[in-house]
This record gives sequence, C-alpha cells and structure tokens, in this order.
Amino acid sequence: MKNNLLGKRYLVRIFWILILGIIWESIALSGRFSPLIFPSVQNVIESLFKSIISGEIIGETLYSLNLICKSLFIGIIIAMVLSILSVRSKVFEGLVETLIAIAHPLPGIALLPLIILWLGTGSSAIVFIIVHSVVWPMVLNLSTGFKSIPNIYKQLGDNYELGLFEIIRHILIPASFPYFLAGVKIGWARAWRALISAEMVFGAAGGIGGLGWFIFKKRVFMDTAGIYSGLIVIVLIGILVEDMLFNKLEKATVKKWGMSI
Amino acid sequence: MRKKTSIKNIGIILTILFIGLFIISSCNNKDTNETKGYKISIAEQYGLAYAPLQIMKENKIMEKNLPDVEVNWEQLGNTAAIREAMLADKLDVGFMAIPPFLIGWDKGMEWKMASGLSQSPIGLVTYKEDIKTIKDFTKNDRIALPQPGSVQHILLSMACEREFSDAKTLDDLLVTMKHPDGMNALLGRKDITAHFTSPPYIFKELEQDGMHEILSGSEAMGRDFTFIVGVTTNKFHDDNPVVYDAFIKSLHDAIEFIHNNPEESAEILADQYKLPKEEVLEYITWEGMEYNSNIEGIYEFTDFMVRNGYISKKFDDIDDIIWEDVEYEK
Repeated sequence: MKNNLLGKRYLVRIFWILILGIIWESIALSGRFSPLIFPSVQNVIESLFKSIISGEIIGETLYSLNLICKSLFIGIIIAMVLSILSVRSKVFEGLVETLIAIAHPLPGIALLPLIILWLGTGSSAIVFIIVHSVVWPMVLNLSTGFKSIPNIYKQLGDNYELGLFEIIRHILIPASFPYFLAGVKIGWARAWRALISAEMVFGAAGGIGGLGWFIFKKRVFMDTAGIYSGLIVIVLIGILVEDMLFNKLEKATVKKWGMSI
Repeated sequence: MRKKTSIKNIGIILTILFIGLFIISSCNNKDTNETKGYKISIAEQYGLAYAPLQIMKENKIMEKNLPDVEVNWEQLGNTAAIREAMLADKLDVGFMAIPPFLIGWDKGMEWKMASGLSQSPIGLVTYKEDIKTIKDFTKNDRIALPQPGSVQHILLSMACEREFSDAKTLDDLLVTMKHPDGMNALLGRKDITAHFTSPPYIFKELEQDGMHEILSGSEAMGRDFTFIVGVTTNKFHDDNPVVYDAFIKSLHDAIEFIHNNPEESAEILADQYKLPKEEVLEYITWEGMEYNSNIEGIYEFTDFMVRNGYISKKFDDIDDIIWEDVEYEK
C-alpha cells in the first residue's frame, strides 16, 4: 500500500514534468525567442548527454559534491560544539549569541574579497564560504533543539552521574534529533547556494571547478543549452538527496521513534 | 466524485498556465520601434581602451551630430553581460574585444563589427623573478585573467600554441578574476603569480618593484591588433540607418578629438577615472596605446579560434562579420 502511494507520487511528478516539458517545447518551437535564449528540449538533453559522455559534467559534479560533503561535515562539527557549549554554559551562550548576531546576516559572497586575501582562490576558500553559510543557521537550530529538551531529562542524566559526553550521546542528541535533522536540511540547501555562487566567481583551480564553474564556462562561450543542462543536474541532485537521503533518514529515526509524523 | 474534482483542478491549472504563456508572449510583442525621436543604447566597459567613448559622452558629440537623439550609456562589468543584453534587445551597440564577438557570431547572434576603437598595450605580468617566459610556469602557479574566451585568454592560448604546440597547456592554471580583483591579488604576491591585464591596471602593476612583463599582446599574436571594437545588432543597423550613421561619425569624431587635443582629453578623462590629469595624459599617449577605427587582426583571431575549437566555423565572406564601409586590414 505504502509503495503504491510512493509510486503514485512519482507518477504525478513525471506527469507534471512532461506537461511543463511540452509547454517549454512549444514556446521554443514557436520561434518567438532566439534559441540562444530559449533552446529546445532536445537541444538541452543532447547537450546534457554530450557532457555526460565526455565525462566533463560528471567530473565537475563529483568535485562539487566532494566540497559540499567536506564543508557540511566541518560545519556540523563546529555547529555541534558551539551549541553544546552554549547549552552547558551561560558564558558561552552569550558569546555564541553575539557571534550569530554578527555573522548570520553576512552573505558568504560579501566576504569574498576578504577571503581571497586570507586564503587565496583555491578550494579552501570555497569550503570556508560554505562552512560560514551552514554553521550559523545550524547553531540556531541545534541550540533551540537542546533548549527544548525538558529539563527533567538532563536532571535524570545528572542523577545517573553521566559525564558530559554521555549526556550528549544519550540525551541531548536523541532528544533534539528532529531539530538536528531540520538543521542539516537547511544547511544542505544553503551549502548548495553558497557553493554554486562561489564556484562561479573563482573559476577553475587545476582545470576543474565544479558545477558553478561549468555553468559559468557555458555562459562565456554562449552555450545556452549547456547552461540548462548544468541546472538540470543541480535539480536532480537536490531531488535525489531529498528523497533518498533525508526522507529515509527521517523514516529510520524520528518517525520510527514517534517524535514526528 | 473525488476523481472528478481532481480532473477539474488539473484543468484549471492548465488553463492558468496557458493564459500565463499567452500574456508572456504578447508582452514581448510591443512595438519597440516607435519612430518619433531617435534612440540609441550603448554599452562600454571600464578602462583606458574605451577613452573615445568617454569623450563622446562628455562632449555630447552624438547629440551635436544628430540633434534630438536620446543616448543611453551603460557601463557593464563584463563582455558576457553586454552580449546577453544585446541578445535580449536591450542594447544597440556594445564594445568588446574581437574573440568574444566571434564567439557570439559563431553561436548565431545577429550582429556585426561597426568600427575599431583602440589598440592597447596588454600583457602578462608576474612578480616571480624566476619566471621569464611562459615556459617557466609550474603547476603551482596561478594566472588571473577576466574569463575563458576573453581576448586575454585567447592571446595566452596563442602563445601556448606557439611554445608548446598545444593551446590549452596553461588552461589548468587559470583563475577568473575581474581586472581590479586580479591586480589586488597579484600585488598581494600570494597564490596568484601572474595577471594578464590591460591599462590602467597593467601600468600600475609594472610600477611596483619586481613586477615584470613576460608576454605582451602583440608578442602573443605575432603582430599588432585591434583590442576593442564596436559591434551593433543587425536590427539596429537595418532599422535605424540615420542613427547608425550618426553614431559612426560621432565615434570617429571622438577618436580624432583625442588625436588633436590630447591635453584637453586627458582633463576630461581625469574626472572620469579619478586619476591625476598628468597620469592620464601619460597613459593615453603611451607607446602602443592607439585610438583608431581601423580593425586589425580579424583573420589571425578567426583562424586560431577555428583551429582550436573555440568557434566552429570561419566566415565565408568578411561582409558576414563587418558592416559596409568599415576599414579593416586584410
């Protein structure tokens, strides 16, 4: 039954994609817009296949995903440390709140000129921008999660004379998991945005520069179909991660534990 | 019952979509070519190579040659933006180097070159003492330039083709940066080891201790060439012959003005660039800085770009890419 529902969802989605595709194609065929602005669907698909076969887009995608994973990992660790500190100590709470107030409104791209001065133009600069855009919303989410845990849980832990790490592992993390998951989701979305914009500015270091660079390169050589094929890959990865990773993770944890519906 | 409503919903959504489409397509249909009053939109970029345009703007030369004309000047950050604005019919005239023009023409943009604007000393500058030619770059070096497909990139590739028989040898070292960012990165003497740039940035860089030029534009190309050309859309040229002629005349007047009155030009430009007048005068009379309407180097750029796959075809006839009465060197 459940499988059926899931299958139906995909059918609906495919149906709508087909409809949108037909509308797109009819606009392209109407000849109202230059193909340099509005390429036809088969041009876009052709260009996508070409860059898959040549391996170009695969290489760039792997490069981007690698950067994202690295930076998300670093971001999650930093966010965990900061929010645990702010829950356990009043002094740190003030510090972390001040840090968030200062850094959260700053878009990573606005920091770009400074980051180039500090770190140069390599991949470490991109990682820095992603970590910056991931950490602050995640700290907000995690510390809200920790704070929403009923105090009695923590007192229970103290009663059992659990150490800091045991409290974190057995009480704080499981009890705030829905917030953690929401934080990771927001982090993932913001990481993508930061990554693509940073890559478009930096260009290739060592010949390969990620999906943002791929799109930029297509732009400067006026390959509009190529720009769309880059966008399609970004959308596909977004859908895959949402459906395969986050939904599965939710099912295996918070839904199974009965913490959310 | 439920099934019925869902079919109805889909029907409603589809109707909305199609109405939306209809509105979008009819919006685009408005008459852009109203004949009362002449209009022209011109895009320039920042740099001394565009000096005649600043003169044309400040002295209102176009307005003198064609009273009642409404001139709209836009300064855009890079060639791709100019190209896209011209494609969307938001601009009539754009100024850029020959390679980006050829890329657009190759992809089907309907435009042609209307005039040359300037030749300019451009070159590759580095702070590293042990780099004397492009052969001395290692895989740890980084070369900043505006973007792939820019004239700087094509010139570097030309030099690579000559030195290494492979135009793409140094492509892995490239970092895309606007001229001012590239200059700051180079002066920081960190990971950006070299910068391919144009005036005034190249002059400022070479003033610094230890900075030296390892490749000039004309060495890369093997001859002098036109750095910036003026390009107009077919639509503008065909629909507005009066404005087109006035524009070409004004452009040539502006070039002549710089030749005849360098001091006065420097004064006008000093305001624009926020530089001292003496410095501007030195720059615009620098050896290799030439303002003229003759276009040079079309064939070399085209042959090289076709040979290395940057564009797919060569023009059959020079008239495919330039308007009538344009001076060019064969």
